[in-house]
Order: sequence, then C-alpha cells, then structure tokens
Amino acid sequence: MTLPVDTILVLVILTGFLILGTVRLHTAIRLCAIQGVAIGLLPVAAAGEGTSLRVVLLGLFIIALKGVAFPRLLRRAIRESATSGEMQPYVGSTASIVVGILALIAAFWIDSRLSFLPDTHSLVAPVAFFTIIVGLFLIVARKLAITQVIGYLILENGIYVFGLAIALEVPVIVELGVLLDMFVAVFVMGIAIFRINREFNHMDSDQLRNLKG
Amino acid sequence: MNPGWILPLVLLLPALLAGAALVAPTRRAALRLVAWGTLLCAAAAVAAASLALHRSGELTSLGAWLMVDALSAYHLLVMAAVFTLSGAYAHGYFREDAESGEMSLPTARRFAALWFSSMASMHLVLVSNNLGLMWVGIEATTLVTAFLICIHGTPTSLEAMWKYLLMCSVGVALAFMGTLLVAASTHGSGVEGASALLWTELRDAATRLDPKLLKIGFLFLVVGYGTKAGLAPMHNWLPDAHSQAPAPVSAIFSGFLLNAALYCILRTLPLVEALPGNAGWGREILVAFGLISVLVAAVFIIAQHDVKRLLAYSSVEHLGIVALGVGLGGLGHVAALFHILNNSVSKSVGFFCAGSIGHLAGTHDMRRINRVTALSRVWGVGLTGSLLAIIGAAPFALFLSEFLILYAAIQQGHTFIAAIFLAGLALVFVGALRHLISITWEPLTEPVETHRGTLLEHALVFVPLTALLVLGVWVPAPFWSLLERAARVLGGAS
Repeated sequence: MTLPVDTILVLVILTGFLILGTVRLHTAIRLCAIQGVAIGLLPVAAAGEGTSLRVVLLGLFIIALKGVAFPRLLRRAIRESATSGEMQPYVGSTASIVVGILALIAAFWIDSRLSFLPDTHSLVAPVAFFTIIVGLFLIVARKLAITQVIGYLILENGIYVFGLAIALEVPVIVELGVLLDMFVAVFVMGIAIFRINREFNHMDSDQLRNLKG
Repeated sequence: MNPGWILPLVLLLPALLAGAALVAPTRRAALRLVAWGTLLCAAAAVAAASLALHRSGELTSLGAWLMVDALSAYHLLVMAAVFTLSGAYAHGYFREDAESGEMSLPTARRFAALWFSSMASMHLVLVSNNLGLMWVGIEATTLVTAFLICIHGTPTSLEAMWKYLLMCSVGVALAFMGTLLVAASTHGSGVEGASALLWTELRDAATRLDPKLLKIGFLFLVVGYGTKAGLAPMHNWLPDAHSQAPAPVSAIFSGFLLNAALYCILRTLPLVEALPGNAGWGREILVAFGLISVLVAAVFIIAQHDVKRLLAYSSVEHLGIVALGVGLGGLGHVAALFHILNNSVSKSVGFFCAGSIGHLAGTHDMRRINRVTALSRVWGVGLTGSLLAIIGAAPFALFLSEFLILYAAIQQGHTFIAAIFLAGLALVFVGALRHLISITWEPLTEPVETHRGTLLEHALVFVPLTALLVLGVWVPAPFWSLLERAARVLGGAS
C-alpha cells in the first residue's frame, strides 16, 4: 500500500515547488488547496485496509477545511482588496525554486541525521521538513499579507505531515481543537487583511513599517 | 464530593460571560460586566487554586485532562490579581469613550467578549494537563487578543496586530511541533497512545522517555512559546503590540499573556531535567535566552522615548530574568517564581498609569511629558513609583527577587552569568532612570489643570504598589512556602 502514499507525497512536494515558482496569487491559492486535499487524503491512504471511521471523517474534515474553506476565505480577501493579483516577491521565482531545491536537499539531510523517528514510511518525514521550510520561506520572502497567510498554511501542512511521520495517536478532541484554532487563525487573518486594506488602501506588508525601535 | 468539579467551572465561567457580553444591552453594561465578571472569574480561579493547594497531590478532573498543582495554582493566583486590577481599570478607561460615543455598542460588546475569551483561553492553558490542549489554549489567546490590540482601529494598531498575529502564529506552530516531538518521545516507555500527551503521565515516565526526541522537542517549545513569551531574539512583535493596544489590554499582555506562554516552557522543563544524565541541559538553554533578553531589552530601553514601549521592553527584560532564574535552578527557581508575581503586578500598574498619563498629556513621548505628578497626582505618583519598582529600585519586591537570582548565580559559582546579569540590570537602571527623572522632575512649560483621581483609581495604583513595598521587606512565610512548593514542581527543591 505504499504506492498511493508515495503518489500523494510527491504531489505535496510538487505543489510546494509550483507555489514557489508562481507569481499569480490565484494560482498559489489553488495550489495551496490541492496540497490541502492531498494532505487530507494522506492518513486515509496510509491506513490502507485498516481504515477506521475516525480516520476517514478527520480526512474529510481536513479536505473541507483546507481544500474548500480556506481558499474561499483567501479569494474573498483578494476580491475585496482589489489587488493586482501578483505575488510581488522579494525573491523572484527562479531564485525561489533554487531555494526549494536546497530545502529538499536539507530536508533529506535532516531526516538522515535524525534516524530517531519510528520506522514509518521513509518519505514522510523529509516531505514534512521540506514543506515546513517552504512555508517559512514564503512567509519571509513575499510582500503581500495574503501570501504570508498562504505561507502559514503551507507551514501548518508540513507540521501535520510531521505529526503523521511520528505516528502519534493524537486524541480526537485535541486534533479538532488544533483544526479549529487553525480555522479561526485563517479567519482572523482574513479579517485583519480586510481591515488593513480598508485603512491603508493596500495590503502590502512591506509598507507596514511605521513601528520601529 | 470530589473538588475537581471546580476546574471545568473555571473554564466555563469566562466562556459564558463572553457569550453574555455579546448581548449586553448598553455600552455601560458591557463595561460594567468586564469589571464585575472579571472579579467573578478571578474568584473562581482563586477557589480552584486554594482547593488544589489544600491537597497534598494535584487536583484533577475530567479523566485527568484537567489538572492543577502548586505551579499552576500559583499562576492562577497571579493571573487573578492581574485580571482583577485590569478589569477594574478597563471600566474607568473606556467609560469616557463610551459616554462620548467614541466607542460604539458593538465595539464595547466585542471588547467585553474578547476580554472574557482571553481569560477563558488562559485558564485553559493553566488547568490543562494535556499538552495538546495547552497548545490549543495558547493559540486561542493569540487569536482572541489580536483584535483587542486594534480595538481603536488606528493604522498603527492594525500594523501591530498583523505583526503580532503572524509572528505568534508561526511561533506557536513551531511549538506544536515541539509538543508532537515530546509526545513521540514516549515510544517504548510504556505510556499508551492517547495518554502520551498527559503531563502527569509524562512526568511519571520521565526517566524512560527517549532523550533525543525530548530534547529536540524542548528546543522547539522554547523557540515557539518563547516567541509568544517575548524572549529575545523572538520579541519583535512585543513592543509594537504593547504600545498600540489600549492600556488595560497592554496590562494583561505584559501582566499575564507572556507568563502564560512561559508557563508552558516551565511545564516541560521538569521532563527534560528528569532525563538521566541530562540534568542542567534544559536550564542552560533558558539561561542563554534569559541573558540575551536582558541585554537586548537594556539596549532598547536606553534609546526609548515612548513610555509604553519602554514598559514593553521592560517586559522582555523581566521575562528574561524569570527565564534566567529558572535556568539557574535551586534558589533561582523560587526567586524566579517570586519575580513572576512582582513583574506582573508592577507592570500592570505601570501600564495603567502610562495609559492615563498618555490620555492626559496627549502623547506617550517621554520628551514631551513633564512633571507627571502635576498632571495627575494619582497616575503621576503611580507612574514614578511603578517605574522605580520596574527598574529594580529597593525596597520594592523586584529588587529582592532580582537580588535572590543574582545570589543564586554567585552561590552556584556562575560568576560570569552574574556579571552579565548585573551589567544588564545596571544598563536598564541608568537608562530608565534618565527618562524617569525627565518626566517626573523637569518643570512644566505651561500650566496644566491637575487631574483628581477617584477613590478606585487611588486603590488601583496604591494597593498593588504598597503590596510590592511590603513584599520587598517582608515575605510572609505561607507565601514563601507556596513558592517553594511551586518550585518543587519545576524539579528544584531548595
């Protein structure tokens, strides 16, 4: 049962690279949604024959959240802020892809150094590290507030995969609490972007620099 | 009857009040609810803490998902004090805005609801035994307090809010990874599945945990929760958020939000300490972060002109001092816990006074504020007094706790650490004293009308300051033994 898992993991890496390379906001949001769906499917695929109802329901919930709800919130934030629809990166797409390649190498290196992880699927941990690095990179290397939210989502995806990598049985209440927090976080960030935009007539976090010292 | 029932109540009460706040009929009612409701929640927290302290072990509830021991009981007490003061202050602070119509009914409702939600989530952090639930609580505090910063909706407050929201969300996300790693360290230790996140289970199995995973997890937790606690160099969001938020909100930020995040680090420390052959490893990390925070804060305090930012950087300094004290261990544990109370109380009063003086003077720029005692007897004296307390002037209690931490460092032979610590304290003292002299004693350029405080305002300033003075010269024995009990949870009986 490793083929579906591998396919999904490769899809996660691929979407990571594509997000690094794109300059269009809508594309980035769509890619982020695809990655979210892939991550929702991951535990179901990993469980294989032994899929329990809990795993399926949780997977569906994640897909609904990351694949549908978050992209909607983000698109709405873009619509109401009349942006050009470009990412306006500090670091251009070619350089970003190079960073992605380095991140992938680093992820495999970290994984090889940390042989402590319980023997789950060999690709899961490196993919988690790669996704986390990509998320952090997007947060610091893109100007728009909304792309920082996308970076945050990618980071969360990476941490979720990491949770799978260490094969931990997280109680449902905690898992739901975490997802609820995430949902509220994106919601709050969406409102924040809307209010920033109304106040400043832009949503360029680069210009949020009046507070210093 | 099992007294554990009080723990769910401590969570439910503020949550219910948050709901009630949303349907408050008038602005005044919403603000009054903040003052009295906070008192009610604080009373529940104090009751829970004293029930827990009257037992020899922990007070648990809901299948050991909720737990209060000496460490969390102490934090609950500090939090109750900070919130009671801030709730009463908030009522007066916003009343003018509400009466002049500057604060609309929806804004007042939203403020009250968010206020109680932040109380509920901080209570969740303190009473949960489950590390995952604790994380949920911390993330929830970020989300509900974000809008408290920009309740006035000015552009700079929005900027501060965005910075706070993003930095803390990312930091806390890393802390989640740390939590996962800590839970993963139970593999093969006999702790089964879902209980791998329960702190009491982890503590009982601490010697059998996987050292490598636990240590990496601890690093993630320190960096993640440290961001929220304002430890340098992850403190960037802190001065902005504190200076832009309305004064009562700054008071709970500095007075307890930071401590709640630090509390999560303190919770994990005994697990790392109990690893065979690793005693002192986790504490060294805290010492490093503590010293960096003290030094960074000292530099910024010297160059600071905004009084609220000065107080914010002082929080970075004091949280650093707490981390340093905890890192030293032994007497340092007790002193650090003592310092938590001292910092929270003095900082709350400091923000009350700075906020009101800022209101009266129309600016927070210390170069343009002179003779604060002429502006307002109560807030002026309060600001001078709390600034003196904050910079560690004797005989305020902060002097005593800082002295004890210094003593702990020298006693253990860490002369180098003691020297750096002392240098940081001296820099802060000199830097802040310069500002203090200019705002207190420099003559006024034009005559002003002196603000006369109400009885409540006097009580809000002078009761806490007097308490700090008393604690500085005389620590009651029951209080000291409470500190020692809480310190034993950290793994360092003195």
